[in-house]
Order: sequence, then C-alpha cells, then structure tokens
Amino acid sequence: MSPGGKALAEFVAEATEILDALGRDLLALDEARDQEADPEHINGIFRAAHSLKGLSGLFGQERITQLAHAAEDLLDRLRLGRLTLDDQVLDALVDALDTFQSLLGETSRGEEGEDLTRRTRAMEDRLARMGSPPPAVEEDPLERLELDASVRAVFTEYEEHRLRENVRRGVALWCVRAAFDLSDFDQGLADLNARLKPLGEVISTLPSSRPGGATGIAFDLIFGAKVAAQALEAGLQGTPAELEPLAVRPPREGEAGPAFELPRSPDAAPAPPESAGNEAAAAPRVKRKKKGPRSQPLALEAGAPRSLLSADAGASEPDTAPSGAPPSGIKALPSGSPPRMRAVESPSATTLGLQSAASAPVPAGRPRPEETSLRSLTQTVRVDIGRLDGLINMVGELLLIKANLQRLAETSRQDGTVALSKLFGQELSRETRQLERKLEALQEGLLEARMVPVGQVFDKLARLVRRIAREAGKEIDFVSTGGEVELDKLIVEELSDPLMHLIRNAIDHGAEGPEARLSVGKPRRALLRLRAEQKGNHVLISVSDDGSGIDEVRVREVALSRGLVSASQISEMTRRELLNLIFLPGFSTRSSVSALSGRGVGLDVVKNNLGNLSGIIDVWSERGKGTAFHLTLPVTLAIVRALVVGVSGRTYAVPLNSVLEILSVQPQDIRTVERREMLDLRGQTLPFLRLGRLFHLPEREVNRHFVVVVGLAQQRLGIAVDELFGQQDIVTKPLGGRLSGVKGISGATDLGNRRTVLVLDVAELLEEGIAQERRRA
Amino acid sequence: MSRFEALLDAFFYRPDEDVSGLLDFAAGSDGLASRVVEEEPTEYLAFRLEAECYAVPILTVREICKVPLLTEIPRSEPQLLGVMNLRGELLPVYDIKLRLRLSDVPPLVAGPDAGLPPRAARILVLKTDAGPAGVWVDSVAGVVRLKPSMVELSPAGIRGDRDCVAGLGRKGSQLYILLDPEQALAP
Repeated sequence: MSPGGKALAEFVAEATEILDALGRDLLALDEARDQEADPEHINGIFRAAHSLKGLSGLFGQERITQLAHAAEDLLDRLRLGRLTLDDQVLDALVDALDTFQSLLGETSRGEEGEDLTRRTRAMEDRLARMGSPPPAVEEDPLERLELDASVRAVFTEYEEHRLRENVRRGVALWCVRAAFDLSDFDQGLADLNARLKPLGEVISTLPSSRPGGATGIAFDLIFGAKVAAQALEAGLQGTPAELEPLAVRPPREGEAGPAFELPRSPDAAPAPPESAGNEAAAAPRVKRKKKGPRSQPLALEAGAPRSLLSADAGASEPDTAPSGAPPSGIKALPSGSPPRMRAVESPSATTLGLQSAASAPVPAGRPRPEETSLRSLTQTVRVDIGRLDGLINMVGELLLIKANLQRLAETSRQDGTVALSKLFGQELSRETRQLERKLEALQEGLLEARMVPVGQVFDKLARLVRRIAREAGKEIDFVSTGGEVELDKLIVEELSDPLMHLIRNAIDHGAEGPEARLSVGKPRRALLRLRAEQKGNHVLISVSDDGSGIDEVRVREVALSRGLVSASQISEMTRRELLNLIFLPGFSTRSSVSALSGRGVGLDVVKNNLGNLSGIIDVWSERGKGTAFHLTLPVTLAIVRALVVGVSGRTYAVPLNSVLEILSVQPQDIRTVERREMLDLRGQTLPFLRLGRLFHLPEREVNRHFVVVVGLAQQRLGIAVDELFGQQDIVTKPLGGRLSGVKGISGATDLGNRRTVLVLDVAELLEEGIAQERRRA
Repeated sequence: MSRFEALLDAFFYRPDEDVSGLLDFAAGSDGLASRVVEEEPTEYLAFRLEAECYAVPILTVREICKVPLLTEIPRSEPQLLGVMNLRGELLPVYDIKLRLRLSDVPPLVAGPDAGLPPRAARILVLKTDAGPAGVWVDSVAGVVRLKPSMVELSPAGIRGDRDCVAGLGRKGSQLYILLDPEQALAP
C-alpha cells in the first residue's frame, strides 16, 4: 500500500471510531426524546464533531471538515442553550451522521461523488438554519439564585447556561466545599467528582473564597443534586466535603414552567429531585410505583405533580412493559396515560427514525449497498500486543524445528549410502527450503503487524511542547519530520518518556527566553526539531534545538563538585567525553530545581531506557548554537539478529545491532596501560575485556582473539571471545523473576540444538567496563 | 541396624507410629468408642539428597523431569546450577545441598565440562512465590502420606543456616526431613 493509502486507511479507521461514538450518544439522546436531554450526551456529540473536524482537516477531507464544522456550530448552540433540542434538531443530527457515513464511504473508496457533495451542502445549510430560539423567559432564573455577583462573573458561558437550566428546573443546588492538601489535591478532587457524578451534575468547580489552610487548597463545587440531602450526605461520607444549600428565590407570579420551593435546610428532603434522579435503580422503582398513591401527597406538596408524573412514568415504562400488564398502581395516577403512551412509543419511533433517516437519502435508481449496509468501512483490527508476542514466539519455535529438519535433511543427503535415501534426502531438503521461505514470510508479516508510525508519539509530544513552552515562558517553534517512519509498537511506547525528557530539557535548559535570544542576534522564537529517519536496520531519531548549547565549563565544575570524576581524569578528557558526563547518574547542571526538568533524575534515565531498547544515544552541542541528541534504535526487538560467539566452550549471543565491527587480534597486540588491557584501534585506544575472565570461566590458551567491538552512546568496548560461530535470528526470552538480578545477561535463547544460549547485555557490559576504568583511576 | 534390632524396633510401639488400624480393632473388640479423631493425611513427595531422605508438600511440585542440558549463568550465586529450557520455558535450577550443608562445593553439572548426570537424578519443578524453579535431587523416592501426628514441627538443632527445614516426619522407621521450598530457594 502506498504511504498515502496507508494514511487514508488510518483516517478512515479513526473517523469510523469517532462516528461510532457519535452514533452511540445520538442514539442515547434519541431514546430519551421528550425528556430533558442529558448534557453529557450533548457534550459527547459536540466533542465527537469537534474531533472529526480536526481529523478530517488534518487529512484534507474538505467535505467532511465543513459538515463537521456546521454540526459543531449547531451543537455548540445546543450546548449553550441558545437552541432547544427538539425533534427537528435531533432528526437533522441523525441525518448528518448518515451523511458523514456516506462521505467516509466515498473517501475510503477514493471517490468524490457530485451527488454527495450536493447533499453535504444541503445538510450544512439545514444545520445552519436550525435554530428555533429558546422559549422566551420573562425573568432570568439566575437572578433568583442567591449567588455572589463576583462568583457569577467567573462562570463560563456554558457553566452559566447549565446553572440557569438547573435553577429553571428547580433542581436542589448545593455548594460543596472541600479543602485538600496541596500535595494531592488533584487526586482528592477527582475522587470527589467521581462520587458526585452519580448523584447529580457538577456545574462548576471554583477555587473557594475561604482559604484552605497553610498547605491546603479549597474548592467550591456548584452542584445540582438529583438525590435528597440525606443521600447526598451519605454519598459524600468520608470526603472532606461540606454541604451548603444555595438558596433560590421563588419565581414571580405567573411564570411558566415548573417551579419548586427549594429546601432551606438539608433535612427537608427535596422530593422532586428524588423522583428525577431515580433512573438507575430499576427494581426498587417498580416497587415504589405500586406505592405511588401513597407517595403522592408528598409530591403534591412539592408543587409539581404533572411534571413529576410524566418523568416517572416515562422512566419506569421499560421495566413494566416486558411483564405484560402494567402494575395496577399506575392506573391510580391521575392523567398518567398520555405521557405513558408516548413513552411506550418512543423506542420504536427511535428505531424507525434512524432507519428512515438511513435509507431516505439514498438516491433511487443508484443502489449503493455500502451506504445502507452495516458493514464497517475500516479494514483494521485492533490486536493486543501480547497476542502478537505469542505469535512471534511461536514463529521462533517453528524456526527451530525448521533448523532441525534442515540438519536431518542435510545428513541424510550427504551420508545416504543407499540411492533411495539419498534421493529422499534431496527431496526433503528442497521441501525444507520451501518451508524456510514461508516461515520467513510469516515472520516478516508478523513483525510488520507490530509496526506503528513513530508519528503517534510525535503528535503527543507536539501538544506537550506547547504546554511546556507556555509554562516556561519561552517561544518555541516545533518542527517534526519523519513521523511516517515505522518502529515496533513496544519501542514506540518505551520511547515516549525518553523523548519527552529530552524535549523538556531542550525547552527548559536549551532554549533561551525571547529577549535573551534577540540580544544575541537570534530570531525571537527558538526552533525545536524532532526528526526520525530510517537508516537500514535502524531508526535514527534526533531532538535538536538552536539554543545556548551545553556549557562545558559548568559540566566540568558539576562533575568535579559531585565527585563523579577526579580532577586528573577530567584534564585528560576530550570534549566529547566531557559532554558524555551529562549521562552520569545524579548529574543536573541547573542549580535550581524547576518543575519541568531537573528533578535529580535526568539524562541517565534516558540513557538507561534507551539501553533497554538496545538503543544508542549520542550528544552534539556547541556553545551558542544549540544541542542535538541522536538516538539510534533497532526497528524491532521481537526478533533480533545476533552474533553467536564461543568462550571457553560456552556459547553466547551478542545482539548484532550493538556490534560495530569484529577484529582478529594477536595476543602481542594487547597493551596494558596501568594494568588495564587496551587495544590500539586505528590510532585510538579501545578498552579491552576478556569475556572469559569477566565471567570467571576457565581460561584456554588461544593463539588469537576475536574482538567484538560494541558501542553504546560514545562508549566503545572490545570484547574478546575465542570463537565466532556466525549470525542467527533469535527470539530473546527474559531470564524471569528469580534471575532478574543477574548482571551482563539480558536473556536467553534457543539456537535449535535444544541448548539454551545466553544473550549478552551489551549496555551492562559496557557500563561494567567503564566502571572498572573509573575505579582503577 | 542389625536384623535383631530391626525386629525389636518393629515390635515396640512408638508414639508416632501409625496404629490406627490396631486402635480400630481394639475399639471394636471391647466396645469402647475410639477417642482418636480421624486425621487427614497430607501427601508429600519424598526424594534423596546424598544419603538423606527429604520431602516437600506434593502440592508445591509442578512436575518432575529428567536432568536436561543446563546452561550455567556466569557470576551467579553458587547454589544456582544454571538454567534449563523446559518446553520453551526458561527455568532456573538450584542445588539446595549447599544450603543444607550436605556438600561444600556446587557440583559441576552445567557447562561444557560437565559429565552426564547420574541416571537417577531428577529436577523437581517447584511452584514458588517468585515463579517456578527447578531443584536438583539425587533420586525421587515416592509419595508418602503423613498425618499431622507423625510430623514434629521444626525441631531444634537441625542443620542449615536458614529455616528451610519445616519439620521432621516419621513413618515406620523412615525419617523424612520436611523442607519449606520457599525458604530453601530464598536468595
């Protein structure tokens, strides 16, 4: 598939998901026709339309963008109460959803039909013209709410609308005041919100006028309760919340609409909210229904029997309908039948409405089965990565069996004394080659299925950049390229944290403020670049900025003052080695701890994370010009190519992605510097490590060493081994819980001879080699 | 133990002896109701390490397998013999003789210099909190059923630097050293 086709498929998959969500919310609204619309659903649809607009805009789907924009407009008006949700609006929305579906269908086929374009235009017009103004209200219900004007001033338009709506409906309003400790107030607030949600609607969350103590912060939550005061109190048991009713003056004479006397004290149970909020519990409601007449007086006292009844009857109808005859209690209700009829009708009307809406716009004479069919447009399947891991493992086992078969075939072909056996061997080896090819294709296919574009992370980071830049008071231009480069899903996931850290560093430490930049003759806005690029088996990702660069002098001072290196060592260091010190644990050049970076964990974590991915990090920096981090990563970790080496009769595997080159070295070429063995590699000294000695294996006399040169970041190390056996694709299995403390080994694999072979952890070996060096110095 | 001693030993009653059959017989004969509550025996897997007989609760044993090729882990604790590949699963294999002070040096059973394992040797795959682990045993003796009355819990003066001996079980003349697998395999 071409890259464009792939992007399109991704768009279709994502848009389908959004439309599904939109459809669900719309259906929920549709089912609740004639009732007060749940603001949650309207908000959900609004968000869906908004994301669809953004998504289609990103992919240049002009028609969808415009229609989504029109729908978003309409929904915004609905949300803010400038428009009431009547049947007409709902039908229009259902039609719009259908139009979206058709548009997406055409998009997925790469068409752009004239018919549909016209239909879309008409739909947009229809949505724009929608809008019967809300029924005139003589008095703003908000005026009746005794709320401080200064508090009212901070409400958003939406919050104000919701509050007005709640007052108009006579919902009991509370001010829930809660104080939290500063350290975990976000957690506490989220808990409180989760508790309140089933009990009603949180209209607004405001910082409290009352201070919350020295280390605390207090909030006022304006809350419209669906339940009685006692239930609310019980629901908030154990939270620091205090309840305080918000008083509402009774409306003036002659005002339309239901109005309740609001309870002045928490113990006067507000009956109307109770009845409105009982949609969740089904069984008790039927029971209470039978007691209907008895609870009637209470409701009558509250002053709105009509609205109470219709709401209650409508809600309870689905429960009673399956049982056949309605409970006798309903009959006792005065004037209960008209709303009940409507409630019974409404579910069927819903399905009918949806069906007719779906089939009506299909032009006659041009059957387009795709448009009415329920088949989804996307060909995508979401698979848990663990399942793919399992399949990859299975392929690994199959490859081992294949290797065994191959060996069998080879021996019977060569040692076949009888002609028949020889022929059989040839046949067998031909078939195994065939099997090999198919297995390789299978393996490749599975690996491809795990690949995701690195752009997934880049997009998240772009949002982060804007936020961090705002917090840090810097002006940043963020440019990311190469988002289409693909990496293993696991690597992409693991990559997001290190990249986030590097970007935070670049904004926090690298980029200068606008004034500082202007004064040194740079453009006002700093440039932060994130780039991905495929290079053979590796992917190169770089994070670069044009900021002030790394201050080597500060690096030197900090390294010395923290005792990370000795003075004599530092005097011998090259510039590159000096820069490399920033990857040491406990290194941070900022003296003040900022919220963004510099929490003590730093680049050493980045380096470690990358090491776990068999990645390499390299740093380049120049004073005044900027800093760049280059990350080299393998494309996948599921199956890696490894170099199989032998030491003292043992076999080990070295991941080939960290092997730079292999040398053959005579014993006399090894030199010692301060009792430490070194190699001279093209004029540079290379630390030399005998694997056998490191692993305390019995040493064997050899007349030459093979030296595997491995590299990670700027560190290079020569690992001496006795034998080289060749390369092989391996599936590494971790050593597991009990052996997680073993150093220098990252896992084990099976090479097909039923023998477990350990895989060397190059990052740890390098670390050890360097630590030795440091200890000696 | 000479033949005579064995005969004498079998003749005398020991408090831990399984004489429930006799008691049943006695209860039937003189009309006295048996005051011995029927005890639920626990099954143990008995095995030999050097010359001694050990046992672990059979529910902690996942499986028993022949000694496969073991791969030594460089620079690991001495009681870790190596790792084995059991149907694609990687398992550590331990030698608990060191901890029980039955030997001073770990046996050379992994790596290229190791000889063939003894014919009777087996690996017990035990279920532990930290995951499955293999334990080398010199031979498997069988399953024994021990009633709580036959078990003497953690007697004093048992060898080993840790409480890996949970108790002593006695059945007939045979003594079983009951091991706590968690403790025996604790790092």
